[in-house]
Amino acid sequence: MGNIIETKNLSKSFHDPVEFQALKNINVSIKQGEFASIVGSSGSGKSTLLYVLSTLDTDYTGHIFFDGDDLSLKSKNDLAEIRNEKIGFVFQFHYLLPEFTVLENVCLPALKLAKYSEEEIRERAYQKLDLLGLRDQALKKANKLSGGQQQRVAIARALINEPKIIFGDEPTGNLDSKNSQNVFEIFKELKEKFNQSIVVVTHDQHFAERTDRIITLSDGEVISQ
Amino acid sequence: MFKKSPVIKIALTHLLAKKRQTIVAMLGVTFGIAIFIFQAGLMSGFQAYFIDETVNTTANIRIYNEAEKNRKSILSKLYADENKWVVVQNQKPKDELTKIKNGYQIIAALEKDSRVLGVSPFLGSQAIFKVGIAQIAGRVSGVDIIKENVLFDVSKNMRQGDITKLQTIPNGIILGDGLAELLGAKMNDNISITSPLGVTLEMKIVGINHSGLTEVDKSRAYINIRNAQKLLKVDGSYITDINIKLKDFNQAEALAKFYHQKFGFKTVDWKEANASVFSVFKIQNMVTYLIIASILIVSGFGIFNILMMIIYEKMPDIAILKAIGYKDSDIKKIFLTESLIIGMLGGLLGLIIGFFMQKIVGSIRMDIKGFVSMEYLRFNSSPGFYVFAYFFGLLATAIAGYIPARKAAKMDAIDIIRSK
Ligand SMILES: Nc1ncnc2c1ncn2[C@@H]1O[C@H](COP(=O)(O)OP(=O)(O)O)[C@@H](O)[C@H]1O
Ligand SMILES: [Mg+2]
Repeated sequence: MGNIIETKNLSKSFHDPVEFQALKNINVSIKQGEFASIVGSSGSGKSTLLYVLSTLDTDYTGHIFFDGDDLSLKSKNDLAEIRNEKIGFVFQFHYLLPEFTVLENVCLPALKLAKYSEEEIRERAYQKLDLLGLRDQALKKANKLSGGQQQRVAIARALINEPKIIFGDEPTGNLDSKNSQNVFEIFKELKEKFNQSIVVVTHDQHFAERTDRIITLSDGEVISQ
Repeated sequence: MFKKSPVIKIALTHLLAKKRQTIVAMLGVTFGIAIFIFQAGLMSGFQAYFIDETVNTTANIRIYNEAEKNRKSILSKLYADENKWVVVQNQKPKDELTKIKNGYQIIAALEKDSRVLGVSPFLGSQAIFKVGIAQIAGRVSGVDIIKENVLFDVSKNMRQGDITKLQTIPNGIILGDGLAELLGAKMNDNISITSPLGVTLEMKIVGINHSGLTEVDKSRAYINIRNAQKLLKVDGSYITDINIKLKDFNQAEALAKFYHQKFGFKTVDWKEANASVFSVFKIQNMVTYLIIASILIVSGFGIFNILMMIIYEKMPDIAILKAIGYKDSDIKKIFLTESLIIGMLGGLLGLIIGFFMQKIVGSIRMDIKGFVSMEYLRFNSSPGFYVFAYFFGLLATAIAGYIPARKAAKMDAIDIIRSK
């Protein structure tokens, strides 16, 4: 089975306010269909790694191969297309467009991709909302939902284009244990049914232990994987 | 739901979230466009009216003979040696030099020219008008009134009387209405005119004329050219000017040159004759455009301002959109769309308000007596102005929107996400 993502001597430094190396010589690979978790203490570089892997942050040294392609050779627009089509992202904070309905929020990446008709996109969006138990909230404004619900909408949005890999930065950080369990099941199902890769940063030891693989970061270094 | 691309919906959502500021920014554009429509319409309406009046009262081409100023004295012709000084003091220009020699032959030749619509001989003089004890200095225009009518549509401007009387009544005179008013003279009154040479003619008023040019109406009278020749004590072939009306007055400049070469006399076309007025127009137009430009710059700042506010408030939106695969150009489009929506709606409202401002002000009776006299302000409300104003407004908004839009497009999604 191929690697969806693979890094070679990946390093990243911040220059402001002082020179600080946040990622040190990281060599990891994630297989297609693998469900991995990244753990480590606060400030160890988990979020930083996730942003680099998900193509949002391009200020690094070394190489990242995504689906076989070296990302450092891609233009900004190419990266935007890759994110749109092949990557789903769930942030620590939900980040929805507050004035848009739940349904519209979920549709946004698909409308950009424009692979399906509007009708089909809406149909698919409802499927994803079903998966997360949100169908009855579809026509509500996003900012009218509770934090936990909004987080699940964000997950539905990450799924809409059926990406090859989904990144989550503490996606269950704001959820209660029941919802957290629910999200875990969804990720597991995505991996098993659709062979999607999942990489999730988490503080939740219980959550991490049940994933296929735990990558542990400490001071910007991978200390076990 | 939304159209193909959610760009417009996102843009509208942003604007609706800031209704009051959006409306203020829109009204800035509205104001600029409305003032433009009103001001430019007024200026160009007035100028068109003035040009109309001028074309009607100035010959397309005038042929005349100028008194030679530095005429060589006979003595200097005799002693043509450069080493000799010849001093002649108080040398006067020769009188008869302003006469157009063979004037009537030239007129006959011009009348055969296919580009010419009409030719009219002219002999003018200063004169003192006297009715009872009222006495006013002015000018008499000695003309062939039928020919003059072809050029200047004199009959259209007759308030009283009939131009043909100038032909049929040997001592007839047509006064400008302002002049008649100043003299307290009425139709069929007797009037005496005295030339600078001391010749006095007893005349009878056969018409009152209103050209629309206030200065002219206050000082001019038409008489038959024969009477003008009597006033100046000259023979029946003596004329000083030949006025020409062309089929196409835009040819005036070129033909003026041509006739100058052909006949050897000075020629001036209507544009050149009114050059000072046209230069005033140029300044007027410049001022108008400067005013509009400054209003639009101010409204541009309004748009700039509100977009910057929206961008800072909606930074998370920008970060999300970029994270889920929207390109920088999509982000730019969103904010450009916002500025264009402001510009389009504000501009449209401006066009409507400008239109009604013209209609309302144009329907108020003004009775202006200045440069020209008119009862109502005339507006040029040609569609071209509206189209121009609208696109100019859109251009201004697009420029004002471009800078914030580019800034939004360049924002780093990661910086925004990290700072939360
Ligand atoms: N924009 C930034 N500028 C400078 N230092 C940063 C910036 N973002 C993160 N860091 C530093 O990089 C390190 C890793 O941060 P982060 O990846 O957010 O850690 P984690 O997600 O594991 O808690 C931290 O020490 C943090 O202070
Ligand atoms: Mg973090």
